Formats: sequence, C-alpha cells, structure tokens
Amino acid sequence: MAHNIWKIGGFILIACVLVLVFAVPMGPGVLELRGTGDTAMSNDLDRKVPEYVLTGFGTHWSENPGDLQVLVRSKANLARLEVMEVLDDTHARIGLTLPYSVPSKSWDVLTNHSVDGTLLLENGLFLSDRFIDESISLSGIDIEEFEADLPFHFPYQPRILESIRNLMLHVPMWFTMFVLMGIAFVASIKQLASARATAEDEKAESAVRVGLLFGILGLVTGSVWARFTWGAWWVDDPQLNGALVTVLVYSGYMVLRNSLESAALRARLSAVYNLFAFVILIILLMVLPRFTESLHPGKGGNPGFNSYDLDSALRAAFYPAVIGWILIGLWMHRINMRITRLNKKIK
Amino acid sequence: MNASSEPASSAWSRYAALTRHAFQMEFRQKNGLAGLILFSIAAVYTCYQVAGSRAEAEAWNALAWVVLLFSAFNAVAKSWPEDAPEMRAYLIHVVRPQEWVLARITFFSLLLCGMSSIVFIAFTLFLGTEHLNGMQAVYFFMGMLFTSIALASLLAMIQALAVRANGGFGLIAVLGLPLIIPVILIATRYGMDILNGISFADTAHNLLFLGTLSGGFGALGFILFPYLWSD
Repeated sequence: MAHNIWKIGGFILIACVLVLVFAVPMGPGVLELRGTGDTAMSNDLDRKVPEYVLTGFGTHWSENPGDLQVLVRSKANLARLEVMEVLDDTHARIGLTLPYSVPSKSWDVLTNHSVDGTLLLENGLFLSDRFIDESISLSGIDIEEFEADLPFHFPYQPRILESIRNLMLHVPMWFTMFVLMGIAFVASIKQLASARATAEDEKAESAVRVGLLFGILGLVTGSVWARFTWGAWWVDDPQLNGALVTVLVYSGYMVLRNSLESAALRARLSAVYNLFAFVILIILLMVLPRFTESLHPGKGGNPGFNSYDLDSALRAAFYPAVIGWILIGLWMHRINMRITRLNKKIK
Repeated sequence: MNASSEPASSAWSRYAALTRHAFQMEFRQKNGLAGLILFSIAAVYTCYQVAGSRAEAEAWNALAWVVLLFSAFNAVAKSWPEDAPEMRAYLIHVVRPQEWVLARITFFSLLLCGMSSIVFIAFTLFLGTEHLNGMQAVYFFMGMLFTSIALASLLAMIQALAVRANGGFGLIAVLGLPLIIPVILIATRYGMDILNGISFADTAHNLLFLGTLSGGFGALGFILFPYLWSD
C-alpha cells in the first residue's frame, strides 16, 4: 500500500484535474465592437451617430443593464461611448459618440459593469473615416477600474477563449515526455556501463515507448489547439518542427531495436542511438527555439512561461495536472517494463 | 582494444595510417567515386531542368541544400571495404576504436567537402550566380563546408551503427535523416541570409552553431564508438 501511494496520488490528481478542466467556468471578456453600418439617434448628443454592436463573452449585462459603461482609450485620451440598449447578456447596441476630429485611429475598448468588473479589448476600435489630429486631447472622464468578485474561473484570453482548458492536457504531455526520455537517457548510460545484463535496456525501451505515446498525444492536442487559435492543423514553426522531429527520432529508435536480433548487441546499439536522440531532443526543443521567431507561446527569446499568462486559477489546475500526468506516465512505464520482462521470461 | 601490447606506433601515426588507408581504398576503387560524382552532377542537372537558370533565391537555396544532403547520404551509405566483419575483427586488435572513429570522421569530412565543392561548382555552372555576387559566393561555399563537416561527424556514427545492425541504406536514412534536421535547419537559414544579402557578420553565428554541433557529434562519437565496435 505504502509503496503504491504515488500511483494512487497520480490517479486522484488526474481525476481532479479532468473535473476542473471541463467543469470550471470561463471568466468574462469583450469579444468585439463592430459597426452595423447604420446610424441611430443619440440621446446624449441629440443627433444621429454611427451604431455599433458590442459583443461580450460570458458577460452578465442583462442583470444590471443600467450599469454597463463603454469607454475607449488611446494613450491618455479617454472617451465614453453611449450604451443605447442592452440586447442580452452578451450583446449591446452602442452609439459612437466621438467627435469628428479625434487624436488617434486605433483605440482600446473598456467596459465597466457591476458583475463583470472592468474588461479590456486591446485595439478593439479602428476609425478609418475620422479626421486625425494628434494635438487634440480628450479627457475629463474618470473610470473606476475594478476586478469582479467572480467564483473560481479560468481567465479570459483573446483568441484562446475556451481552449485555454487544453493547457492542462497539452503542456503536461511534453513535460511527461521529457521526464520519460530523461529516464531512458540515464538507463542507456547505465546499460553501456554494464557488460552483459540487459535490465537497463528494457527500462530504456519501455520509457521511450511510453514517452513516444505522450509525444504523439502532445502533437495531437497541440494540433487541435493550433486549429482553434491559428486556424490550421499544422503551421511551419520551429517549436512544432522540433516536436515532430523528436517523435521521428525516437521512432527511429524503435525501428533500430526491431532490426536487431541479438539481445546484447541490441542493448548496446540502441543505447548508443538513444544518447544521440536525447542530445537532439535538447537541441531541438530547448536550444533552437530560443534563437528563432515562433508563434508558440513563450518562444522567440525565452521558452519558459510568461508569468502574466498564468493566473491563480490556472496555476491551481496546471501544477496538479503536470504532477499527475508525470506520475501516470511513470506508472505506465513501470507496467510496460514489467510486461517486457515477463514476456522475456516466457520465451 | 588492447593498445598497450601494441609496438612502437603512436596513436597519431595509427590515426594517420587509417585515414590514408581510407583514401587509398577510395581512389583504388575509382568506379565508386565516379558514381558519387555522377550522382551529384546528375542531381544538379535535374534541378536545372526543373528550376531553370533563373531560379528564385528561395528555390536556389533549397535545391542546393537538398542536393548536398542527398549527395552526403549517398557518399556515406555505400558499403565500405573496411566495414566487412573480417576487417573489423582484424582492426580491433591493431587500433583503438577512438582512432578508428576519428579517422572515419576525418575521411568523411574531407570526402563530403570534396562533394560539396563539386555540387557548388555544378550549381553555379548550371543554375547561375545571379544571387551570389563576389564575396557572397565565398560565404555560401564556407557554409557548405561547415555543413559537410557537421554531416560527416554525425553520419560517421550513424553509418557505423547501421553496419553493425546489418541494415542498409534504409536504416541509415531512418536513423540519420531526423537527427540531421537541426544541421539542415541552421544551414538553410544561413544560406538564405547570405543569398538575401545580409552581411556575413550578422549571420556568422550560424557557422558557430554548425561548428558546435560538429564538435558535439564528434565528441559523442568519440565516447560512444568503443561500445559500438566491440563484441
């Protein structure tokens, strides 16, 4: 019982994480502010102004429709837009009550609401038909920015939206693969040091086999994510290419094993190849992406996590997910190794 | 393996003798060498037929590296007389594996540098030099030489592995092609920089990467080859 505690722990962690991944709601955000092409009568200005529709994500505007405030900001300039009508929780008609001469074309959109707090959509409004005069300054409005007191939720991220849940599946796959390939690397070094026994070789083989499975799962989950956020199942990117080549290199390891008959020679040759494979893994996934531009989050300079990408709710689900998947991976590795050894005993 | 029982010859002289012997065997078998050169020139000529003499810089770059890569695999993957089991059984008692692998890497490096010279000359001859003005050609050729050495230091090991596993060209390709991709990524980026007219000083770090990779692969081969060679 006591020596199985880590397996039970890993199982419980993954169970909890899966519940969190699919059950925790998303926080609110602003999706877009888009012109309808029509004009509408403004009550504030008593003339016709262009009509826009503001779309929110997971917002609660119909709870207190009078509370909704919409503002636009460009550097120090802040201006209020008129909320004409709240259509439902996530849609509202907005009147563009800006003057004809404005200091900037591109504006951030801010909304204030008693339930959702202050939400920001960067570069949400682009004015193409106004007169631009940078000397004008609009000010005199104060808004009180505040964080909404919402129950446990994942943060809203533009473009990522609901797919942020994939963080708890995609990223730990690669961490687990790294751990398993590291185990295989150490086992291969030990194998080269031992003369006749092939115990370490069996360890390396099962670690690579399970590691490959996690690598392929990492590619699949990443591909689904890329389809949602970048619009394609696969994009030409150093991080993605590195990941695919790593999987190919380790597939080569399996091919090499299958082409060798003698157990002692197989143990030695595949250990030699595995050391090369691990060095290439480090180069491809940890060294090269630092020197190249990449779409992949955290790449192009520093392949770590950006601290502002992870908030407390994400951390609470992400760290258990990493530990849980690694423990499950190690468990699978142990089972696989035992099967290999039993098969050998039967023969 | 047991070099202490070996008479006066030094490690250096054994290494030199092995390298010299590899070249002697190569030049004695002229049809093998002629076949490699013919393959490279035929590959370049095929590129010329496909892309014409006014290829875009991107196409020029891609074709040059692909031809170099395949020439290198072709050069390394043919069966060498030294790889026969009897030869190995003899050599094990005469030289250390480290001397053997260093001689092998040296031989492959020089062979691939020669091959890349031929590829480069044939390329400039057929596909034109409109993207390479003056020093650009020299820098591009330098990149090819660095790439040749990096390819040689990795493929020497992979070729020995495939021979020990009794696999042919297929196994070398399966094991070698994925491992070679970092080298090719760096080489193509360097080549593209040179063809785009970026100054050498701004892209020379790629050559440093290639040199580091060659050193790393060479060191790994030096450490691991004894395990590969012994019985």
